[in-house]
Amino acid sequence: MIEINATIIAQIINFLLLVALLRAVAYKPVARLLQQRSDKIKGDLDHAEADRKEAEKTLEQYKAQLSDAHKKAQEIVDKANLTARQEHDAAVAETRKEIERMKQTAQAEIENERNRAFEEMKSQIVTLSLAAAGKVVSKNLDTKENDKLVNDFISSLDKNMFADLK
Amino acid sequence: MHEIGVRETINLFGLTFNIETLKMTWLAMGIVLLIACLATRNLKVVPQGWQNFVEMIILWLHDQIDAMMGKRGRMLAPFIVGLFMFLLASNLIGLVPLMASPTNDLNTTLGLALLVVVIVHVLGLYFKGGHYIAHFFQPTPVFVVINMIEEIAKPITLAFRLFGNILAGEILIIVLLKLMPIWMPIPSVCWLAFSIFISCVQAVIFTMLSMAYLANAVKEDHAE
Repeated sequence: MIEINATIIAQIINFLLLVALLRAVAYKPVARLLQQRSDKIKGDLDHAEADRKEAEKTLEQYKAQLSDAHKKAQEIVDKANLTARQEHDAAVAETRKEIERMKQTAQAEIENERNRAFEEMKSQIVTLSLAAAGKVVSKNLDTKENDKLVNDFISSLDKNMFADLK
Repeated sequence: MHEIGVRETINLFGLTFNIETLKMTWLAMGIVLLIACLATRNLKVVPQGWQNFVEMIILWLHDQIDAMMGKRGRMLAPFIVGLFMFLLASNLIGLVPLMASPTNDLNTTLGLALLVVVIVHVLGLYFKGGHYIAHFFQPTPVFVVINMIEEIAKPITLAFRLFGNILAGEILIIVLLKLMPIWMPIPSVCWLAFSIFISCVQAVIFTMLSMAYLANAVKEDHAE
């Protein structure tokens, strides 16, 4: 029952043959496949990581652009506000100046008008006084002396009576 | 197995071969290769069905090898998976009526055990050189005797453990069938079930011990 013969050599050769065949038929393809899969997973992960970084970068750019745009818009609005205020101030100042100018013109006109009225009144008073005085004292006074007399009178009037009119 | 202890032999080139053992070995090899082919044809990157199972076994084996032998052990993976599958198939076909296990022949088990031991020593010398020889003389040179006995005992225990278990299982099946009347199948069924268990366990033990021996020779020494 226990007898060692050449079968032992045959069995060793058989087994080595089996291992060689198994290695070629089954083990290598499976091991290669496992390697392939782990490579693929690793590649995919790397790819995903790269994609994520890319997306982050893009997002960062977009954010920067957005804040830039915000800033620019704010600047434009500020500028517009400033311009409007300046224009408004300018318009107000112009209007004030206009009003001032008109006031001055009106005052000058009033002054002129009053002076003119005063002169007119003065001459009419002279004429009227002369006429009146002439009629009263036509007999004893000559014209020259009368004029002087009346003018003196008017001048004294001028000084005393029209002082508060001025 | 028709007559217990008697083997048919043929003579070829002046050498004697146990023809039944060889036939059964080829049958077991055929079964292993068939299973391997069926399991690994049509491999896909995204696994499906049987491929999951095969991948699971190979990954488990890789883990075991990495843990026991380190990175150098990977090159022995086909050898170990082949050893396990061949032993399992060999042990189990002996339980089929009219068939015998190739492993009930000491020629098979001793052949495999010697092969393992030779690989251990060759790889040990290749990877570690002088250190490998020196470790037989440690801790003191006197220990070389004990170490030698251990080294010689390794293939013998490996071979006889498997051989004895399988042969005993098959003999007892025949004995039980002859002993019991045909209407009383319970003892032989029980023994058959136990033999299936023993077949698997012995295949695992042989493979694991081979891995442990190989690990000794292949593993990187962290102490040095």
